[in-house]
Amino acid sequence: MGFTYIDWIIVVVYLIVSVSIGLIGKKYVGNVASYLVAGRELGLYVGIATLAATEIGTITFMYYGEAGYKYGFAAFVAALIAGVVMIIVGRTGFIISRLRKMKLMTVPEFFEAKYSRGLRLLTGILVAVGGILNMGVFLRVEGEFLMRISGIDAKYLVGIMTAILLLELLYTVVGGMVSIVITDFIQYILLSVATILISIYAINYAGWTNIVNKVEATMGDGGFNPITNPQFGWTFIIWQTLLWLSLHTCWQTTAMRMFSTKDAETSKKVMTWTGFIFLGRGMLPMVWGIAALTLYGTGALDASGIPAPVVNGETLQPIEAMPAMLSQILGPGIKGIVVAGMLAATMSVNSSYLLGWSSVISQDIVLPIRRLMGKQPLSSRAQIFVNRVANVFVSLFLLFWGLWYEVPGTVYLYLNITGTIFLAGAFVCVVGGLYWKRANVTGGYAAMLLGAAGAIIPFFFLKWSENITGFIAFGLAALGLIVGSLIGKASKPGAEAVEFNRAATEEV
Amino acid sequence: MNIWATFWMLCLIVAGGAFALITLIVMVKGFKDLREMLRELSKKQHEEINPDN
Repeated sequence: MGFTYIDWIIVVVYLIVSVSIGLIGKKYVGNVASYLVAGRELGLYVGIATLAATEIGTITFMYYGEAGYKYGFAAFVAALIAGVVMIIVGRTGFIISRLRKMKLMTVPEFFEAKYSRGLRLLTGILVAVGGILNMGVFLRVEGEFLMRISGIDAKYLVGIMTAILLLELLYTVVGGMVSIVITDFIQYILLSVATILISIYAINYAGWTNIVNKVEATMGDGGFNPITNPQFGWTFIIWQTLLWLSLHTCWQTTAMRMFSTKDAETSKKVMTWTGFIFLGRGMLPMVWGIAALTLYGTGALDASGIPAPVVNGETLQPIEAMPAMLSQILGPGIKGIVVAGMLAATMSVNSSYLLGWSSVISQDIVLPIRRLMGKQPLSSRAQIFVNRVANVFVSLFLLFWGLWYEVPGTVYLYLNITGTIFLAGAFVCVVGGLYWKRANVTGGYAAMLLGAAGAIIPFFFLKWSENITGFIAFGLAALGLIVGSLIGKASKPGAEAVEFNRAATEEV
Repeated sequence: MNIWATFWMLCLIVAGGAFALITLIVMVKGFKDLREMLRELSKKQHEEINPDN
């Protein structure tokens, strides 16, 4: 069932309204703090909206839908861990509370305060490279979703995704975090409505009993029990707990929301309530994937015994099953709302990620290099200009990378590993820097380098599983911090460095 | 239905219910938050341009 006129009208109206409202943000941008962290004026409810919208994208629905299709209900454990860890971080204020009190704008900024400018630069480079590579697959995967659900011919896909990226770039460059927060609010509502609609349609069409029976027949106990499913088990559960602990505290786009809240108490509440949304963020699209397996899982079996999806006689990949199902079960009008909701999800994630990674380039690579070269700090206006240029640079890279790069293995896996490259070291350094007095520069360098090596070498060269790779990355980073700190000289107190940096970034 | 199936069904109900409920609350109260944020940003901008006022 293709797109009708009413669907196109809904989508076009959404795009016009969203971008127009986003452009309003420009008139509220004064200094670099308003551009990057919305002047630290985020309240609870809009904070929840922008944090949830930032971390719920079409890409999220796609990889969780794929996980549901391939691993059944056992995949729910990944969503459960993500949500529960977030609620615990919010309730305790672990890391986020202290970072918020420091009035940071980026995560690597902490490294200059606690460790050294050189380590901030190294962390900035690793965060930017890992983050941009991570985001690099978004366009292609999102494009596949849109193509499947709307029936758009593949030859128009590049043009459409380029146009969407340019629209996101337009309001992000112009209004920074202020524009993003305004658009995130609208986009969050729309994507949530779409999520609820799809869930009702998917479960209603496939039937709950049929869904459970299909998983039972296809996967047996492994389709329900994450301990016995060979893809998961205890190593996966422990690695995912560590990964989500680091994602919720040190992932630049999440951390920027925490830095943008009015105070530390608000940041804790935002994190706690968004944790409940994160349960649905994972489990609902996984159910869509399982519903797609129930309705269309009739093809040839793969090595794990999972049937390929067959829709209208065409054999698809498991990741394509969910959008193909939606194209079949949603009627005119509803399909337009759902696609507008998915576009909202896409734009909210991409604009936030564009700002997140470009802010690391401008604040943690360009500024420290200038300072190391003995140059004067940039004015607030100049910093905003550098950030805008970085935004354009990141967008261009994404466009070309997204067009030709093929994701090796599952998308979820690729995203986890590219994130772990810097997250393992960054998380260990932040925990050590905040909670261990002996942590020093030598330990910081060792943690960042060993964490990156621990993610890259086992996964890309030794071809070990992602669970083992994740363990090794976090383990080596922790070992590096402890051993390096014990044999290296103690770091100087970082409070002056933070204040100096503040003067350089806000008051010049 | 095995115990895991029941557990995941309950998790799904909690997750879906919380998702819908929080969306509703954010939809109603978020707009006020947004207006307050923009008002504060305008005030700050005005103070930066006119520091004596």
